[in-house]
Parts: sequence; C-alpha cells; structure tokens
Amino acid sequence: MINFEEELKKFHPSLEVEDAEEAIYNQDLTDMADLLVKMIQESGEKTDA
Amino acid sequence: MFCYHCGAQLSEQHDFCTACGADVHLYKKIMYVSNRFYNEGLERAGVRDLSGAVVSLRQSLKFNKSNVDARNLLGLVYFETGEVVAAMSEWVISKNMRPERNIADDYIGMLQSNATRLDSINQTIKKYNQAYAYCVQESRDLAVIQLKKVLSLNPKFVRAHLLLALLYMDSEQWEKAQRELKKCLDIDRNNTQALRYLKEVELMLQPDESIRQPAKHRKDESVRYQSDNEIIIQPMNVKEPKGSGASTLLNVGIGLIIGLAACYFLVVPARVADTRNEMKKTILEIGNQSDAKTSTIQQLELQVEKLQEENDSLNGTLEGYVGEDGTLVTIDNLLDAASIYLETQNLQDTAVRLETIASSVNVEETSEAFQKLYNLLLTTIGPELAVTYYNDGVTSYRNGDYAAAVELFTKAVYYDSANVEPLYYLGQAYRQNDDRENAIAAYQKVVELFPDTQNAASAKRHIEDLEQTAD
Repeated sequence: MINFEEELKKFHPSLEVEDAEEAIYNQDLTDMADLLVKMIQESGEKTDA
Repeated sequence: MFCYHCGAQLSEQHDFCTACGADVHLYKKIMYVSNRFYNEGLERAGVRDLSGAVVSLRQSLKFNKSNVDARNLLGLVYFETGEVVAAMSEWVISKNMRPERNIADDYIGMLQSNATRLDSINQTIKKYNQAYAYCVQESRDLAVIQLKKVLSLNPKFVRAHLLLALLYMDSEQWEKAQRELKKCLDIDRNNTQALRYLKEVELMLQPDESIRQPAKHRKDESVRYQSDNEIIIQPMNVKEPKGSGASTLLNVGIGLIIGLAACYFLVVPARVADTRNEMKKTILEIGNQSDAKTSTIQQLELQVEKLQEENDSLNGTLEGYVGEDGTLVTIDNLLDAASIYLETQNLQDTAVRLETIASSVNVEETSEAFQKLYNLLLTTIGPELAVTYYNDGVTSYRNGDYAAAVELFTKAVYYDSANVEPLYYLGQAYRQNDDRENAIAAYQKVVELFPDTQNAASAKRHIEDLEQTAD
C-alpha cells in the first residue's frame, strides 16, 4: 500500500526560469576524467617528491 | 578523443599520448564507458524509456562531462518530460563546452525566441510548485485543481502526472489515477514510479471493486470513496442513525400513509363523483320511467272507471232484463203480451204489458226480433187503443180532470203519434194544468209535425200567449 506522505517526499519543487542561472552555476561538473587527472597529478607529485 | 595533459588528439591503437607520452589507457576507458552510457541512453530514449535514458546519460556525463552529445540528449530528454529549466541548463552548459557547431544552440534559440512560450513554461512551473505546496499543506483539493491547470498547459509534464496520480490514489479515485499513470507511461515508458503506482492501482481495481469500504479516517472533515463511477463524499461527523431497521419501517409506513392519503384526496373524490353522476343518470331514467308508468296507470285507472261505470250501467240494464229467477223479464212480458192478444185480444191487458216493457227498458236497444214483435203488437193494438185513450182523455178534460187528461192524452199520443188531435189536446191539458213548459213543448210538436193544420195555427197562438204570459 502506497503511503502518500512517504511518496510525497520523493517529489520536490521544480526549478523556475529565474532559478536556472543559479542552478547552472551551482552544478558540480566534476567527472571521472577530472578525478583521474587529479589522481595522476597527485601520484606524479608524490613520485617527484 | 584528446589528451587530458596536452590536448593532442589521441590515436586509437596506443594507450599513451603520442604527443606528450601521458598514460591514457585509463582515460580512454573512462571515455569509452561514457560513450557506452551515452549509447545506452540514446537507445533508451529511442524506445521512450526516458527515465532510463536520463540515468544512462547522467552516468555518461559523470564519466565525461564534456560528452556534448550526451548532454544535448539529456537536455532533450528533460524537455520531453516537461523539465524545461533542467533542459535549458544542460544546453547552456553544452554550449559553453562547445560553442561552435552545437545543436544546443538551436534548442536554446527555440526556447528564447518565443517569449510567450517561455512565460507559459514559467507559469506552468510556478503552478506545479504551488500544487506541491498545497500537497504539503494537505490542501489536496486545491493541489488537484492546480495540477489539472498545469497539465492543461504542459501535457508532457511527467512529474505533474505522477503527483496528480498520487493525489487520486490517496483519495481512492483509482480509475482517475490509472488514467494519469497511463498518460505518464505514454511519455516515459519505463518510469519506475509510475509503474509502481500503476501496480498499486491495478491491485485496487480488481474484481470486487464494486464493494468499497469507506476510506481510512483522516483529519479532513469528509471521507471520499468511489463506488463504480461515482465519487461519494461523506462528512465525517455524520453518523448513521442507530436502529435503522425500525426507522426504515417507520419511513415505509409514513410513505404508505402519504400514498393512501394522496389516493384518498385525489383519486377517490373523482371516482365518487363519477359514481354519483351515474347514479343521478340512473335515477333520472328511473324517474322518467316512473312518470311514464304513472301516466299510464292514470290512463288505465280512468279506463277502469269508465269500464266500471259501463259495467254498472250494463248490470243495471241487465237487472232490468233479469228477474229473480234469472230469466229476462222483459222478454217474458213481451211474450206474455203477444200471448194475451192472440188468445183474448184484450187490448187493455196487452197495453199494460207493453207499457211495462216500455218503462223497464229502452226498446231501441233490444234485439231486432224483440223490436219487431214489440212494434208489431204496438201497431196492431195502437190505433184502437189510442182512440180509447183519446176519448177518455177528452172526457177527463171536459170534466176538468186535467191531470188525468194529461195522462190519457200522453198514452193516446204514444199509441198513435200520427194523429194531431191527441197531441194538440195534450198541450191543452198541460196548459190547463198550468204546466207551461210541457204545454209549449206539445204545441211546438204540433207545429213541427202538422204545420199546415188549424191545430198548428191554434198551437202557435197558444205558444205566443204562454210566452207573453211568462214575460
């Protein structure tokens, strides 16, 4: 049996047009490639050290 | 694919950058994974599994945020599910990553070029948020109204469909919820949430769906449940009256009483009036028949009286004929008179018998044979008898016995009416006897029967004298 209150929690307000700019700016665009590059960089620095 | 270190294009055969020598095999794998997720997302989008496509494309972007194709496709998928701002975000980011030759440019231009459309989209989002706020505040009716408006503006807004379906499910409007969920699944075929809700709804719409218990108690003042195609809203504070059987019987009884009263006051008077009219007609007919019969009875009574009188008269006449022994006396007298004359030729006795007959009956009403015999006797003895009576009458007249003279002259006239003398002297005797009326009558007969005679002239003079005397 579906519980209305519990299901309602899964819904959230939708972004309005005015909020789009802020949402774009706040979006975290870090991806796996970035993580990999960072890891390689860190490992390279350690090797150099 | 470009090297993360120097940006040179990588070759497909080597796991290192041919320009800077950086190890790129992991990087390549990440790219391959990103592309694979993009392909998966594209495949899912192709079959309208938009939720699955979003997941795959987001995974693709997690591996490679620069996967512009994935980002553009993700934006497209968001737009198809009604998430316009999310779509815009992805396209904007995509355009930043690749400003040139990017289809995101067209998408953004499409949205921004039509301000009305953008405003409408914005209003849709605001209404959806308002509906969501109503749901949180438990104003579910208002939320339903708002969501219906949202969906009229943007029929592809999947989240609005889901929220509306959830509201219908909460109010146990299962068929409406089913409709919303099916619309949702038409847009996003494998939407997990929609599928889960639909499963619940189909479970509730199974065979005994016509019998429903009232919904669970809520803080609301009314309970809403569905029975077939009807939505029944029952206030919470209203309780069923106890002893419903007795009240039902009472209501039935009241209904019967009202029905009988309606019959009595509406139907019965009309029937009574009809019956009365029929009765009146019948009475009228009977009255007419009675009058006719009364009239007939009266006529018959008059006839009876008349017949009775006639009967009495005939009886009287018959009595005249019938003697004590029952025989006809008059016939006896006639036969006796004839017998006497034939045997003795005694005029006096024969005359006595004939006078008796004349005094008892009306000879003209007797039989023909009777009249014949009577007249025969009368004509046979009449003249001679008349002379006798005339002579006796004259004697009495001369002696001054006028009364006797009247009697004798009357007989003389009776037996011989063709002779003027007895009649004239009869008048004289009446006159002398001071019987003026009979005297005038006798004189007038003389004048009528014997007009050219001296006696007639004398009679006229006597009539004048008597009339002058009377004046």
